[in-house]
Amino acid sequence: MTVKTEGIIKIDKELCTGCRRCTGVCPVDAIEGEKGQPQTINVERCVLCGQCVQICSAYASAFDEDIAPREQKMEERNMLPSVKEPLFASYYTGHAPTVKKVLVNNSLFTMVQCAPAVRVAIAEEFGMPLGSLTPGKMAAALKKLGFNRVYDTNFTADLTIMEEGNELIKRVTEGGVLPMFTSCCPAWVKFIEQDYPELIPHLSSCKSPQQMAGALFKTYGAQVDGVDAAKVYSVSVMPCVCKKFECERPEMKDSGYRDVDVAITTRELAQLIKDAGIDFNGLPEEEFDKPLGTYTGAGTIFGATGGVMEAALRTAYELITKQEIPDVNLKLVRGVEGVRTADVKVGDLTLKVAVVAGLKNVIPVLEAIKAGKADFHFIEVMTCPVGCVSGGGQPKVLIPDEQANAYTNRTCNTYVHDENMEYRKSHNNPEIKKIYEKFLVEDNIHHLLHTKYTPRR
Amino acid sequence: MNTKLNSFVVADPRKCIGCKACELACAVVHADSDGKTVGTVETPIMPRLFLVKTAEVTMPIQCRHCEDAPCANACPVDAISQVDNKILINTEACVGCKTCMMACPFGAMDLVPKYKDGQVVTQNGLMSETEDGLVEKEVMLAHKCDLCVDQPNGPACIRVCPEKALELIVPKQVKRKRNVEAATNFLDSVKNFFD
Amino acid sequence: MNTFVVANPNKCIGCKACEIACAVAHLGTSVATAGFIDAPFSPRISLVRAEMVTMPIQCRQCDDAPCANACPVAAIVNQDNKIVVKPELCIGCKTCIVACPFGAIDVVPRCQNGKEQMQMSLNVITKEGKENKEVMVAHKCDLCAGRLGGPACVEVCPGDAFTLVKPEVINDSIKNKRLSSALDIIGK
Repeated sequence: MTVKTEGIIKIDKELCTGCRRCTGVCPVDAIEGEKGQPQTINVERCVLCGQCVQICSAYASAFDEDIAPREQKMEERNMLPSVKEPLFASYYTGHAPTVKKVLVNNSLFTMVQCAPAVRVAIAEEFGMPLGSLTPGKMAAALKKLGFNRVYDTNFTADLTIMEEGNELIKRVTEGGVLPMFTSCCPAWVKFIEQDYPELIPHLSSCKSPQQMAGALFKTYGAQVDGVDAAKVYSVSVMPCVCKKFECERPEMKDSGYRDVDVAITTRELAQLIKDAGIDFNGLPEEEFDKPLGTYTGAGTIFGATGGVMEAALRTAYELITKQEIPDVNLKLVRGVEGVRTADVKVGDLTLKVAVVAGLKNVIPVLEAIKAGKADFHFIEVMTCPVGCVSGGGQPKVLIPDEQANAYTNRTCNTYVHDENMEYRKSHNNPEIKKIYEKFLVEDNIHHLLHTKYTPRR
Repeated sequence: MNTKLNSFVVADPRKCIGCKACELACAVVHADSDGKTVGTVETPIMPRLFLVKTAEVTMPIQCRHCEDAPCANACPVDAISQVDNKILINTEACVGCKTCMMACPFGAMDLVPKYKDGQVVTQNGLMSETEDGLVEKEVMLAHKCDLCVDQPNGPACIRVCPEKALELIVPKQVKRKRNVEAATNFLDSVKNFFD
Repeated sequence: MNTFVVANPNKCIGCKACEIACAVAHLGTSVATAGFIDAPFSPRISLVRAEMVTMPIQCRQCDDAPCANACPVAAIVNQDNKIVVKPELCIGCKTCIVACPFGAIDVVPRCQNGKEQMQMSLNVITKEGKENKEVMVAHKCDLCAGRLGGPACVEVCPGDAFTLVKPEVINDSIKNKRLSSALDIIGK
């Protein structure tokens, strides 16, 4: 059974000029139409990466009397009526009004998680320089909005490293399917399900950090706060449009309820903050809530391409060799090239790893695997150009020249944040140690933190 | 006497894909905001160049900075002048009479509301009668390409066009280049006509 | 077909006598020496001195004149087998300059009876203050319409490089070439 993608990313026929700049960035050729005519999205092929939304410059003029009124379009797009920003032809369905309603519903206990990439971009929507690092203000804003618990995806990023690290070691030592691919990018997962379903066994069985967090919110989280899991409402804030699709996948209800009730983008969170009249720039720095809001530098670098790999290596090294890693900064997996490879010596084992950024760049790797010529143990794949910091749900840069600056600054500050964290390795996260002691026993782990995939061909 | 001709920006209709990146960039660099993202935009997008998109042609149209600018000659309050080889509007003087819009043969002139700090600016005296009573009327100003006179990097539209369809025309240079090309190309015709 | 003047680059010596003759012929007053000229010197023909070629370029009086088609105010018209600018209609927008593939049209101050005309309203603002702007109009070869003796450039060229190409000149040329081609084919 497939989840309908129709309705998540759409092209407004009234606004689309048929320039087809979107087709230049679509990694799966999902956009169809004649030059000069309004385009349509093939929902079967679309992986919801949202790069078309980022590049579209066909804006709706406020003075155009031949198009539907702005209020009508905003309603169609499910946007908060208070939003003033211009509308473009390519857009994603919104969920901010849903979150606004939920926040004033006193019978619900709301828990929120933000992806690592959100904290290096959200301030841009308030006029701060591109890439400004504002985790403290982000947490403060979420508290002011009224979320009961301000948790963080970075905690479950750390958790993903524990699970995925163990899974990798198991596959390497017990002859499991290799190379193993990361599975945190839902657009990449949908792509492999629809174009290379025979390679599904190569995907890590780990859920994404978003989905792990959702499952834990309504089990462990409900326990910690002594609330009825049925009353927990789970929200995620993502730099990504595809997370809206991921949270609605039918199998993602291992908590007994929908693990993540709604996913909004970085832009939508900024809109909620403005709608509530909160002065983001004037907010004091606040902390994330424990236990599910505590994270390490390894968790936060998930937002940049190579970050998942680096985080995994930091932990794999120490778990396998039982020694401290000589340099915690693994620059050999950082960078912006589409495919990076490295041989990493971990004790007696040489781990052959690869990092792919930009979904199109994974195709030669997949073909090599099919031909039996891919000599790798572990491969990180991110759909968006430089990883999640360049996601389809991130603040949309107005002037094309500045987009490169935005990506560079967001990436740079992701690593700055990592460098200043108290803990920089997932296995050292005290709340991670605690959750394994108190809650994550064998059955729970598999049930809540791992998943199965759906061939779509 | 200054016979240096005014430069202007013009698009190549063979290259234009109708994406409106030029309109967006134009509006953004002229708005009084430091924001770099869509989320920071709180006022309508008001470009000074206008995409024409029909079955026959797709290209933006903007001011030609005419030497005998009809808009300037038509303006009853002398709000339009030539400064440093650009035809510019002094918005303080503009009364919104729209004669310049009628005068311009290209349709390059528009009349738009004035915004400051994200809010529309209203007039001191003139009110509008509406169903809800008297309402302040926004200030309306003439508005056209100013060759990005206040921008450090020159015309924004040229920079952002993904197809490099926009070009700054320096008329005397274009003329001279064409002269040389015409003469060089003529060599081929010579022996088949004169001899 | 329209008539036009064109130079033979093999005969051109680059002396610019044509440019001078052109400017003088259009002054509207009679002048004998250079010292007499106090109006703007605006030839409608431009000498090109490039690496491979030296020759003057002037309007080709195109039958589908791009300048005329581009003009927003219909200031360029076909008149008596030539393409003519009507300066009283011209607004100096320069679109014709961009349109002309030869660079044969320019925009220059308008002179009547040796004096520059000034615009009604458009001022130029400089550091020194405000001053009226002169009227600028499009300007190109007009085949010296109204001049006794026809085109001045043709008359004055010391190398006899110009040809006044009337329709019959081209038509004869192509007839001859067709005949030559046929004869070549049969081996004659």
